[in-house]
Amino acid sequence: MRRWFTLPALTVATIAASLLVAVAPAAAHGYISSPPSRQANCASGAVANCGDIIYEPQSVEAPKGSTQCNGGGSRFAVLNDTSKAWPAASVGQTVTFNWVLTARHSTATWEYFIGGTLLASFNDGGAQPGATKSHTVSMKGFTGRQTVLARWNIADTVNAFYSCVDLNIGGGSTTTPTTPPTTAPTTAPPTTAPTTAPPTSTGTWKAGTAYKVGDVVTYNGLSYRCRQAHTALAGWEPPNVPALWQAA
Amino acid sequence: MASRLIRLALLVTLVAGCAAQPATKVTAADRQPFNDVDVMFLQMATEQIAEGDQVAELAAQRAGDAELKAVAAELRTQWHDEDGTMRRWLLGWQQPLTADPSAGAHAGHGELHMLRPSDIGELRSATAKAFDRTAVSLLLGHLGNCVETSRMEQAQGAYPPARTLAATVTTRRQAQIRRLLKIAAAGG
Repeated sequence: MRRWFTLPALTVATIAASLLVAVAPAAAHGYISSPPSRQANCASGAVANCGDIIYEPQSVEAPKGSTQCNGGGSRFAVLNDTSKAWPAASVGQTVTFNWVLTARHSTATWEYFIGGTLLASFNDGGAQPGATKSHTVSMKGFTGRQTVLARWNIADTVNAFYSCVDLNIGGGSTTTPTTPPTTAPTTAPPTTAPTTAPPTSTGTWKAGTAYKVGDVVTYNGLSYRCRQAHTALAGWEPPNVPALWQAA
Repeated sequence: MASRLIRLALLVTLVAGCAAQPATKVTAADRQPFNDVDVMFLQMATEQIAEGDQVAELAAQRAGDAELKAVAAELRTQWHDEDGTMRRWLLGWQQPLTADPSAGAHAGHGELHMLRPSDIGELRSATAKAFDRTAVSLLLGHLGNCVETSRMEQAQGAYPPARTLAATVTTRRQAQIRRLLKIAAAGG
């Protein structure tokens, strides 16, 4: 017994030492599984042609503070691609986000945003997550098609893990994806963006304006129709953001 | 002793997995049909199977969702076969079944990637929908780690049958991940 361990131990020590520098897979750690994040939709096959993210949806790691779905940088840029047909889960004003964790890092905070609006922040004070991690978050009145950016800020590194979740938000009180179908509210969630307010022609596109679905603006002499309710920011000019504006 | 060995073994291997710089250092003898990555893959994969099977066993028995039950049962069968092959190779090469504990630098880091006894405990005490949700979440995380291990072998292993097995493992685990993600998306 003793001999069995001794000889191999030397071999393996060498192996381990060489592997410490020899193996370089991604640093992989977590993503939102429901409602499905963009990387989950890639890994599940719901969205095709995503590239390597299908092997490691848990690897969207980048320095803290980015507002991009891939956390900035060039890796997994497909997650930022607004021209891709990301499915949007139908939810109400309260949404429960469930994470899958492949490594249980000490956690500073979990943050959820729509556009520049912080929806919620959960401070774990450096604790390690348990077997599961979920947060129930209010959509703060946002409706229609929206992209929630979630950030898992690690306590002991400079990095965060990023997950974007596309949602079609209704006005209902609590339709969460974790609610069993048998107890789902009987009021059908809106299947499309609000139809009550008639689309309006709102003149020339301007940063700072709140646009709703169907609004038509002009920009550089061309007309565009709003595809998702949002408040316009500099850099979101209609020709730049096909997810928000469609040539009309 | 055994469990400590196993824990430290995985620790070593996963620390390796987090290292960032690629390098090419050959330590194996030329006539050897396998390299260090093959050995590491087999040691890691067998340990991951042992850990994951604890979740799969509970899920196969107790899941409310029929699809989750089916995935867990399929995993157990495939893992049983894979594990047998992997151990035979390690024994044939006269390599230890687990890595050496004394080689473990970065204490505590590798454990982040493992299923902890407390995770299994949480699953055991969960009931109804919460049981299914916990099982899906633990399996998805664990299978994600398994895919990383098998992809390491596919990229850097030397022994053709082990590389072929790794490719099979990647394909199988990804198919299971797809099924589990669908369960999660549907509210399981």
